[in-house]
Amino acid sequence: MSNTIASEYGHTDTSVPIEHRFNPYSDNGGTILGIAGEDFAVLAGDTRHTSGYSINSRFQPKIMDLGDDLVMSANGFSADGDALIRSFQQQLTWYHFNNQNKKLRPSSAARLIQHLLYGHRFFPYYVHTIIAGLDEEGKGAIYSFDPVGSYEREQCRAGGAAASLIMPFLDNQVNFKNQYDPATGQARLKTYLKLDEVLNLVRDAFTSATERHIEVGDCLQIKIITKEGVREEFYPLKRD
Amino acid sequence: MFLTRSEYDRGVSTFSPEGRLFQVEYSLEAIKLGSTAIGICTSEGVILAVEKRVNSSLLESSSIEKIVEIDSHIGCAMSGLTADARSMIDHARVASLNHDLYYDENISVETLTQSVCDLALRFGEGVDGEERLMSRPFGVALLIAGIDENGPQLYHAEPSGTFYKYDAKAIGSGSEGAQAELNNEYHKSLTLKDAELLVLKILKQVMEEKLDSNNAQLASVTKEHGFQIYDDKKTTEIVEVLKAQEAEQEDEEITA
Amino acid sequence: MEHDPFKWGRPDNATYGDYDYRISNAKNTEFPSMHTQQPIVTGTSVIAIKYKNGIVMAADNLGSYGSLARFSNIERLIPVGKDTVVGISGDISDLQYIERALDELEVENDYDGASHPFKANHIHEYLNKLLYQRRSKLNPLWNAVVVAGINSDNEPFLAHNDLLGVQFSSPTLATGFGAHLAIPLLRKVADKEEDVAHVTKEQAREAILQSMKVLFYRDARSSNRFSLVTIDKDTGISFEKDLKVENMSWKYAETIKGYGNLQKF
Repeated sequence: MSNTIASEYGHTDTSVPIEHRFNPYSDNGGTILGIAGEDFAVLAGDTRHTSGYSINSRFQPKIMDLGDDLVMSANGFSADGDALIRSFQQQLTWYHFNNQNKKLRPSSAARLIQHLLYGHRFFPYYVHTIIAGLDEEGKGAIYSFDPVGSYEREQCRAGGAAASLIMPFLDNQVNFKNQYDPATGQARLKTYLKLDEVLNLVRDAFTSATERHIEVGDCLQIKIITKEGVREEFYPLKRD
Repeated sequence: MFLTRSEYDRGVSTFSPEGRLFQVEYSLEAIKLGSTAIGICTSEGVILAVEKRVNSSLLESSSIEKIVEIDSHIGCAMSGLTADARSMIDHARVASLNHDLYYDENISVETLTQSVCDLALRFGEGVDGEERLMSRPFGVALLIAGIDENGPQLYHAEPSGTFYKYDAKAIGSGSEGAQAELNNEYHKSLTLKDAELLVLKILKQVMEEKLDSNNAQLASVTKEHGFQIYDDKKTTEIVEVLKAQEAEQEDEEITA
Repeated sequence: MEHDPFKWGRPDNATYGDYDYRISNAKNTEFPSMHTQQPIVTGTSVIAIKYKNGIVMAADNLGSYGSLARFSNIERLIPVGKDTVVGISGDISDLQYIERALDELEVENDYDGASHPFKANHIHEYLNKLLYQRRSKLNPLWNAVVVAGINSDNEPFLAHNDLLGVQFSSPTLATGFGAHLAIPLLRKVADKEEDVAHVTKEQAREAILQSMKVLFYRDARSSNRFSLVTIDKDTGISFEKDLKVENMSWKYAETIKGYGNLQKF
């Protein structure tokens, strides 16, 4: 008989010990969205903060004004998001000390954030990061990052829980993907959207995401960057 | 200044009762022994010029390197114990490269100058327990020329770790005469061409040997081309223009 | 004959499997380095709600060892400074560690007498950094913490903080089971920040007492003895200890349908 009976002495039956490991990550839901226009940029996010099926807070804004006409949000695991933004703010203070209070450009902020994220390559900040600002020519600039620091300048980007719901909508409405002129059959030419058009897109994106994603809702926060500076708007979202 | 000389000039980090650090003051003397270096900042760019002391006819003058590139937009001229400048230049190049790495932009000229000057006081231990890098202060001064979003700029960095921004500055053995001449001749509307001629004219006045492309070197920092060291041909051309100009002036004086 | 004395007197390999040599080969060092992998003695929910002029917060006095009601006199509402109370749930030894850390912080801050007094937002920031640092070392303090008090702008402050360093604010907060059972009751009183202005101290206190009762009914790791604290921006902290859940009803729920007694239809 080859069968062995389980005993406290035997190790043959349980060759893999049962491990219980502390999981240092969680997901706090929420979604963010950035769109760049010709002379403005917007960064928006809902204010719902969740753990699993619980709504921790209905109003926990996550789009941060960093000064220097830059706004930033790091969506995903909110403890890491908060830590990333805080460490960026400290780095920015040092940049001002070392560079005669020079205004940090979005491209420089993007490179700096890459280093902050990649510095945690082997214990990553579990966040999707987006920053928004105006470039040297005054054009709207959106930079988006993966959790370990890959980044790209884009016209628009959605991040977080409902990114996969919003992004295809943006591809179609901002970059005119799959839109053709019925007369010529040619792809619709790319043009810049106006601020009010963009704000309507953002609000539509979030009301729709709120309908379909349980982690999105409560309130919509939008920060708008123009040459006049940064301003903020709030709109209610469904709270169910 | 040597009247109060005493035991206090031994330790690099010991103040004298009058509150002086003699070793630092002596290091400034080392620069006065060095070859002359001049920088002029114009709205079009910055010109650097140095005198090369070719002591022997067998010396290959191109091996005397007193103007060096720090980055594509910043260069510097030196005077004094030029060997000491190696570590400063090294540090400056690393600082510039790191700035580009971390911020995706050119380092500003002032930030670069500050970072070089941070090194100057490392003959003592740092407050944060930084190790003591050197046994004595640097014996070299730098003229740092560069261009950034604030336009062309010229900085003078001393071994004491202080730095100042100048429109025009001369350092080294001929600096007194040269600086007096710069004070007379400098004006805000100087063009780059004017500055090239002016810098060579002044260098010629304070040099013992006859000025040519062998014993003088020029460099410029401009928005269009960044930092460039002039080759012998270009230097010779400017020397020729200068000669022609001076000949013309002499003629005028004679006819007058 | 088995000649190896090590094998004498051991259970039969054929019956019980081979001896696991890792047991005898285990290093006889003092103790392996260990990080908290689970809480041991635990405290259950902390619940809190904002009202017009301050905050009401409560937590029961039980320290559970698994399902054993091990300690019945644990105080989990910890006052810090003049107008902040920290409510802690989760591991009790980590609670005591936090208590000491806060005490040390306060002593350091008050040392020269002329210092800036700690406000609730400062305490919260400190705890957030402490908890996040520990989670980042994979050695967490196994707690969920509610900081209630008055902030540096002299406004009521209420924030939550957990073992991961996750932090958030809301007019109503609760840890553990309270997040499921008490929050719906408390949000009936104050859902939005704007609602807070219309909530009186009495309403807030009543909602907390009601929630403590519901928690005692349904949370098997809770007790009927609890502490309640009111932090008012005018009158400061008032502690009520040794409170008991009152007016409980264990009547047969004859009017309730659909739980096995009567069919719904």
